[in-house]
Amino acid sequence: MLTIFTHTLKRFLGQILGWGISFGLITLYLMAVYKPMIEQQAELVSLLEAYGETMLAFFGGGADFLSPAGYLDFGFFSYFPVVAGIFAVLIGSGLLAADEEKGTLDLILAHPVSRTGLFWGRFLAFAAATTAILALTWLGFAFGLPIAGWDVSAVALLLPHISLLAVLLLFGAFALLLSMVLPSRMLAASTAGALMVVSYLVSSLARVNEQLKALNDFLPLKYYQGGRALDGLDWQNFLGLMGFAALFAVLAWLLFLRRDIRVSGEGSWRLPGLKRPRTADR
Amino acid sequence: MENGTAIRTQGLVKNYGNVRALRGLDLEVKRGEIFGFLGPNGAGKTTTIRCLLDLIRPNGGAAEVLGINPQRNPVAVRARTGYLPGELHFDENLSVEATLRYLSALRGRKADWDYTRSLAEKLDLGLKTAIKNLSKGNKQKVGVVQALMHRPKLLLLDEPTSGLDPLLQQAVLRMVQDARQQGATVFFSSHILSEVQEIADRVGIIRLGALAEVAETQSLVKRSLRRVRLRFREAVPQAVLAGIPGVKILSEGDGLSPLLQVEGEMDALIKAVAQFTVVEFETERPSLEEVFLAYYEE
Repeated sequence: MLTIFTHTLKRFLGQILGWGISFGLITLYLMAVYKPMIEQQAELVSLLEAYGETMLAFFGGGADFLSPAGYLDFGFFSYFPVVAGIFAVLIGSGLLAADEEKGTLDLILAHPVSRTGLFWGRFLAFAAATTAILALTWLGFAFGLPIAGWDVSAVALLLPHISLLAVLLLFGAFALLLSMVLPSRMLAASTAGALMVVSYLVSSLARVNEQLKALNDFLPLKYYQGGRALDGLDWQNFLGLMGFAALFAVLAWLLFLRRDIRVSGEGSWRLPGLKRPRTADR
Repeated sequence: MENGTAIRTQGLVKNYGNVRALRGLDLEVKRGEIFGFLGPNGAGKTTTIRCLLDLIRPNGGAAEVLGINPQRNPVAVRARTGYLPGELHFDENLSVEATLRYLSALRGRKADWDYTRSLAEKLDLGLKTAIKNLSKGNKQKVGVVQALMHRPKLLLLDEPTSGLDPLLQQAVLRMVQDARQQGATVFFSSHILSEVQEIADRVGIIRLGALAEVAETQSLVKRSLRRVRLRFREAVPQAVLAGIPGVKILSEGDGLSPLLQVEGEMDALIKAVAQFTVVEFETERPSLEEVFLAYYEE
């Protein structure tokens, strides 16, 4: 499993640097423009009031956007689950299905590697890559702290990232689960991506629309704190999100144990899990 | 499974939806032999190999590889096996050496690197080249090297010379024979009959997901079919030859010089033509390809 983990992580290196450095530069920029924004807060407040409540809902409400927690939410963490979620969904859906469709999984699984070792080696590499990207994002904030002049520790800035990590792992694990059920990686990514965006829209609008609040209770972003985690992480919500991420990953693993490895169009797609496998390697 | 058996399947069944790829395959491959697995595309050759490695799960029957049930302990089977897939794909971004080192790492770095280099040299394969810059034939060479580099007890080769030029085909076949001399069992599928005839000790012919025939390669070639060219002094009616059991007329030759295919003993043919004046009676042994086609014409 260690070989699979390290090899997969090496394959992600380009993406870690690409996404992570880009996000780190965005967060550094956000910290750099904080003071100039505060200096023009009167104009900014009137501008935001002109947007109206519905528009502001998409950026975390905007009521206290001049506080560090509100600013983080408004400028970054409110919409960032969808941006970074694209990475999570693409990687999650392709974690096994991409190699299966390319035909490389056939050769790897012909080596003395159990399906369990392959699955968890790759999933842990995905989790590590996501963590590394968020660490680079956090570095941007941390370097920007003196520029913004906040009375906030760099360690406290980790808390919104921890909340974000849970959401991204959940999106990635969900996309991975769909890739075990749906006939192609692209369909799994598209479906997971569409559900992620719908979830984001519903959770954002639920802030101003009472009718959506009941539905929002079942969506992951309801339990995502974003910038507000700067004032203290809600561990119950965090563990809930991580629990569902783990549940989706375990379901995907069980399906992977049971199914045939497809190659070059051999075999056909059927709803999995309807019949017990003869045996499965652990 | 007795010690002398490397692969055994009993009533192996594999369905893809409504398609029955294997219909109760019974197969036995002895340790230390080169076994050629013949059949056209879609006959079930690749499906059989992938069942033996637990890449796919059979719907019925049983399989044993080197005394191990591949569905119960696939890792143990794969540790002792070298596999060359019919559809070979690698991570395109790695070099040949990085690919081989990664695959060796998956085996706990059991590949002897000097031996691996020597295999690559035999095939004139550069280790520093990126996989994405290799031709199909050169990728096939990487596939051959990775299958052999850890000196496996069993080689499962799916169309091993696919995409190679004739010289390299010969090189690969020699490497397969070398592996057998070092004690490995070789099970290889092919539809290139000449190469099967060249190196296989025994041949299995798979037809519509079931084994049609297993025989020693030479006996299969010698035993069943003869091509007979006759020349009579006077034309012989076609009905005389057409009515002989086991005889198929390939060419009438105006009744004077017919070309026949005879399956089984020649006795009936000889007795039937004895009533005419036979000027020439010439027999040829068919190629394995003709034997193979005969099974599929049935």
